[in-house]
Amino acid sequence: MLNPIVWIHAEALAPTNPALLAHPGAPAVFVFDRELIARQQLSLQRLGFLYECLLELPVTLRHGDVVEELLAFAQRHGADGISTSQAVDPRFSALREQIGAELPLEVLQPEAFVALSASADLRRFSRYWRQAEPVLWARAGAGAPPAPTRRWDR
Amino acid sequence: MQWPEAVMMRLGDSLPPDDLPRQFANRNEMEATLRQLFPQAPGGLSPIQGGRRAAETALAAIDPLAYGRSRNHLGGAVTLLSPYIRHGVLSLAEVRETVFTWLERSKQPPAAAQKLINELGWRDYWQRLWRQLGDGIWEDREPLKTGHPPESYAAALPVDLLEARTGLACMDGFVQELEATGWLHNHARMWLASYVVHWRRVRWQAGARWFLRYLLDGDPASNNLSWQWVASSFSSKPYLFNRENLERFSSGRFCCDCALAGTGCPFDASYDELHSRLFKAVASPRGPH
Repeated sequence: MLNPIVWIHAEALAPTNPALLAHPGAPAVFVFDRELIARQQLSLQRLGFLYECLLELPVTLRHGDVVEELLAFAQRHGADGISTSQAVDPRFSALREQIGAELPLEVLQPEAFVALSASADLRRFSRYWRQAEPVLWARAGAGAPPAPTRRWDR
Repeated sequence: MQWPEAVMMRLGDSLPPDDLPRQFANRNEMEATLRQLFPQAPGGLSPIQGGRRAAETALAAIDPLAYGRSRNHLGGAVTLLSPYIRHGVLSLAEVRETVFTWLERSKQPPAAAQKLINELGWRDYWQRLWRQLGDGIWEDREPLKTGHPPESYAAALPVDLLEARTGLACMDGFVQELEATGWLHNHARMWLASYVVHWRRVRWQAGARWFLRYLLDGDPASNNLSWQWVASSFSSKPYLFNRENLERFSSGRFCCDCALAGTGCPFDASYDELHSRLFKAVASPRGPH
């Protein structure tokens, strides 16, 4: 993709967004998702917080149907594709499919908190943590974690 | 689409049609514009400011040792990073590195940072589960352990709760704080969720949707799975608290002006007593942790 636009979504509102870093200077857009905002009746507290985060990023702000707005923004800039970063929300996967059907879509991976195998046991936090904690502390160069953690310390 | 005239004037001629404005004289002006753009949205701006600069200020101020010691107290040294992490203004990897750098510089033993690293792990855990479960996070992961059938829980939140007039100073205070600021201390979230699900017998989903509407860090995975943890559909026991626990971790700030402090506080009992009052199944007594 020679001339992409960057799609910023609400899981990646940092200047270190991998799509922004991969395409410096490319036109970037954020769409306030009309359907989602109405369905979840999001408060002005939440929308205002998002807005303030976005005002510190080099991004055009839109409000409407995400797919329509993204495709229109791509057309406005004569783009040949869209670059974005992976999100966890299943809504992202649905939008990704619809957009990908219209234009090439590149999805970049943000840095993981801890590298675990895809088959990691997630049945309870304690099982996850037994796998994750030693990896994290090895990463810190601190060797083994300091002491066994309590099972349900919340 | 047609913006209200005031917004159009602010947009000026330089922006293509329907691009939202990015220039504001101040926060009040931004709030007024947002009210016009999102007329259905309840509430107003939070005192907690969005943006990378505010996030970096909060990140630079973390004290992992004080956090580990005092995080369960409402007045404790919590980091306030959650809204920024939720929206990727800060990545979990970046916070992890900041904590490990703090550890090196402070010359503290690793245990000093263990609790904060552990809590970052919770966030990562919920995200991994969301990837695995998708919209399944809205359904009970397991049967409830309360002895009550799922259909005995109300589908909607009671009006007195939403209007912050339950008469319980603690719960009314939490509702007001949630809706005014978009943030609640984790312990307050747990108490409020437990009150909603177990004392008022409301489906956890109603509470989860309400929290997501207001919490700046409202993340469906962390939020819903924590509600399920309280409800007991994602834990081996329902989460309960009592007055002694709430009073201790709030330094008594609610009980001192509560009309029900003398008689009628529904939380003023032992865990055994609350357990038999609230749940049908006869099981072993439950503590808060």
